[in-house]
Amino acid sequence: MDKKSMSPMNRKALKETLLFTLPAVVMVLIAIYIPFVMSGYYSLTEWNGISRNPVFIGLNNFKTIFSSGSPEFVNALVFTFKYSALFIVFSNVLALALAVALTKEFKLANFLRGMFFLPYIMSMTIVGFIWKFIFTQGFEKLYELTGWGIWNLSWLGDGGLAFWSLVIVGTWQSLGFYIVLYIAGLQAIPKEVMEAASIDGATGSQRFFRVTLPLLGPSITTCMFMSLTNSLKVFDIILALTKGGPGGATYSATLDIYREAFQNNNYGLGSAKAIVFFVIVLVLTQVVLKIFESREVQQ
Amino acid sequence: MKKLLCLLLAVATVLAMSVLPAMAEGAEINMFISSPEYADAVNELIAAYKEVAPDVTINYETTQNDYPTLLKTRINAGMTPDIFSTTSGKEIADYAEYSYNFAGSPAAEAMDPAVSAMMVYGDGEIHGFALKGNYFGMLYNKAIFEEVGIEFPRTLDAFEAACEKLSEAGYQPVTTGFAEWWVFKHVMQHFLDAASDDPAALVAAFQKGEAHFKDYPVLYDNFFRFIDLCVKYGDNKPLETDLAGEDAAFGAGKAAMMTGQGAWVEADVLAIDDALQIGFAGYPVTDDPAKSQIIGGSDQALRINKDSANLDAVMDFVNWWYTSDYGKAWFCDVAGVIPPITDAKVADMQIIQQGSELSATDGAAALSICYSSDSFNQAMGEAIQAYIGGTIDKDACCAQIEAKWVELDGAAQ
Amino acid sequence: MDKVQSPVRRIVTHTLFLVVIVLLACLYIYPVFLMVCNSLKPFKEILTNVLALPSHLEWANYSYVIEKMEYFRLFFNNVVITLLGILGIVAFSSMAAYILDRRQTRVTKALHTFIITPMLIPFQTIMITLLKFMNIIHLNGTTWGLGIQYWGFGIPMATFIYFNFMKSIPSEIDESAMIDGATTFQTYVRIIFPLLKTVTATVVVLDVMWIWNDFLLPLLMVNSSPSSKTLVLAAYNFVGSLNTKWHYALAAMVLAILPSVIVFVFLQRYIVDGVVAGAIKG
Repeated sequence: MDKKSMSPMNRKALKETLLFTLPAVVMVLIAIYIPFVMSGYYSLTEWNGISRNPVFIGLNNFKTIFSSGSPEFVNALVFTFKYSALFIVFSNVLALALAVALTKEFKLANFLRGMFFLPYIMSMTIVGFIWKFIFTQGFEKLYELTGWGIWNLSWLGDGGLAFWSLVIVGTWQSLGFYIVLYIAGLQAIPKEVMEAASIDGATGSQRFFRVTLPLLGPSITTCMFMSLTNSLKVFDIILALTKGGPGGATYSATLDIYREAFQNNNYGLGSAKAIVFFVIVLVLTQVVLKIFESREVQQ
Repeated sequence: MKKLLCLLLAVATVLAMSVLPAMAEGAEINMFISSPEYADAVNELIAAYKEVAPDVTINYETTQNDYPTLLKTRINAGMTPDIFSTTSGKEIADYAEYSYNFAGSPAAEAMDPAVSAMMVYGDGEIHGFALKGNYFGMLYNKAIFEEVGIEFPRTLDAFEAACEKLSEAGYQPVTTGFAEWWVFKHVMQHFLDAASDDPAALVAAFQKGEAHFKDYPVLYDNFFRFIDLCVKYGDNKPLETDLAGEDAAFGAGKAAMMTGQGAWVEADVLAIDDALQIGFAGYPVTDDPAKSQIIGGSDQALRINKDSANLDAVMDFVNWWYTSDYGKAWFCDVAGVIPPITDAKVADMQIIQQGSELSATDGAAALSICYSSDSFNQAMGEAIQAYIGGTIDKDACCAQIEAKWVELDGAAQ
Repeated sequence: MDKVQSPVRRIVTHTLFLVVIVLLACLYIYPVFLMVCNSLKPFKEILTNVLALPSHLEWANYSYVIEKMEYFRLFFNNVVITLLGILGIVAFSSMAAYILDRRQTRVTKALHTFIITPMLIPFQTIMITLLKFMNIIHLNGTTWGLGIQYWGFGIPMATFIYFNFMKSIPSEIDESAMIDGATTFQTYVRIIFPLLKTVTATVVVLDVMWIWNDFLLPLLMVNSSPSSKTLVLAAYNFVGSLNTKWHYALAAMVLAILPSVIVFVFLQRYIVDGVVAGAIKG
């Protein structure tokens, strides 16, 4: 084989590959990469985000992050990882279970799918407004009715509980998104396969674990990855419900970066944190993606 | 492949179209400010100005969510609005390089001194004006106080006694809104004003790291005593009660007093009960009733872009707003706000009326929230929330606030 | 062994299943119900008790909001932005995903990573420079400019979803088309894309919901030009700094998202029929 010059066949293939991906690459470049790199420049400056003249300070911002230990950033990272772990488990398990239920054939199925999707499109300000009242007025009512102590806890006013409230409302809000993806995956499983399994005498749960789940590989990879990236970037739901409180207990990494850049007027330091966070997330997601892809191939 | 090329070509054409500039005639003023609750009033103001200056077009845009972020983004993209808003006080300096000094103009002359004091940059330069003045203080339900037979407490001991009496009478003595970080800055400023005759200097000392809570009993003892009492006699879940929760508790006549708020809540609590008799007073901060004062001024500033292409047109508009008969009456008649100018009538609202009377008889204290940035104020609010939640003790809370003051508002800023 | 259930038992299980899932759904959308419920209350009733039912239905909230936010004009803006955005996202993502799946080389692997990595970048970290750059290339301030921007923001996720589902289309199908003399592009347009109906429906559903109801990007790009504003932006104008007219805000939000709900109910019926089942029929 001649390694130096490509065969006409390969060259044509490469040209095709580039042409097919060109629009996607260009658009992603314009909308995200270029602004990201421009923003990255500010990580090398001391800049409040307002003045005309950022001062170039080299890698000092990165030194600040790593030398001072920046406890707020580290706390925010820990919070984010904890949130992500729980969010991924909850959203995938619940979404898959509901998707299985909602792909059964019954009259209300279409309607119910719509119902589970609704919270996903509620605007965050409204989600915050409504849920705050559920946590206060609603839980107060439930406590009067049942007398169970669980309703009398301060679900948004206690740092530890506020974390759980965010996980619950966060999962509630975006579950519909993953249900749709799992439904699409379930529909892609040929009915013949399921029928064959039924004839072989497999029970419902056997069919699910031995037939459905392995065939759902691509959907699971998609949903795992999506839930991972979305939960690592968690921002809106916190702003709507707790704004990082009470007492700063619920800052996520993105919210901490936002606070640094826009509230504390340290855009340079904020950008540096954003880059550090990006690298961490990049490594993490690549590892997760590799694990899932290798498992898919095995099946 | 042809289809692909066609598509790309189409995109290119569309892109090219956008480069064609949109030409405008006459002077245009781009006004991008926060507080959408005054959108209707501002639109009326603009319509009235259209009759005075028909060739001037004012593009008014408003949003509340993410306003400061959006403003920074616009400025950096070279799209600085002709009129924009920031907070007053500390932030006047942050945006000084973009904002116009209009000291000596008719508008600056007409401004209420309590308002213009917060707009000063450097040596007497005036870098902002206000859409409205404001009053900060404690609200109380006059009917409940009458029923229980007590006066509004002006000292901390009286406050504790009053809470006890109200509690015995079956009322929730106070609703606090401690879920909101900004409630704490509104409360804290009254104590800062009582702690020193020169609160501006005191805050500056804190920012340099030279002042400490321990040296100021009004802050170290009184402030925390007040917070503790508010928690003890306040909402069931203090860190969960936000402004809406406060409105509900106070408006429905469940809670007798309301902290952290001011003139802006009147409309909302009256919407719940339009017969509500609202009392307005300073906070009990010490054992000296004279120290219990309300606070007046403006915590928001409207700024004029000094590089505006139509600076003259902008100044004409602002001068007209502050000095014309229509403009002067607008604050009271159309917007229903406290006029930020001296020569205007006072709106017929309970808090505004009492505020203006109280500042005439007892004097008003300085709007000392504005000596610090909102970055700091938020960090302070979070520290006090942590104290209320029991995750840190009083000394740790003080240490955290002191550190944030230096870190966020210190010399580097 | 015969595991087939008796008819009676089957009906009982089925009814039980229906009751549970309907109850679950009702509990699940209770907050949504509260939103709609409160949007029909007078302001006073919202402030006093969010959980109570309205004493009477205050339709005036809706008529006020429709006029105030110029609903029908902004509705058209939303349609333009969403349609334009979806067309580009679907066309470019499916194309890219197709070639990335079929040609597994080092180049395609790198391109794949390049296209999907932006999913990891939090939007807030690029806001300042995004507007700066979009201003330079004149993509801000217009509905179509915003629509085009959504291509860039939507392509990573859509490509990722298409790519993962592409594997379930056997490559024998395109090989046989190629043998018949079709070019790669013709194969993609005529054979592959029609087979992607389920995935396309999924991507369209998810992206319509996202673009129609998005807040931050429109706020950055079109809030300053009254002619290109979106429904959600207009709805947010009822949210004030310290005073929010919740009765109007809620009614406006309900009206803003309503069209996308209808589109969802209509479109999600297309998320049916397995890809492979379709392939066998074709």
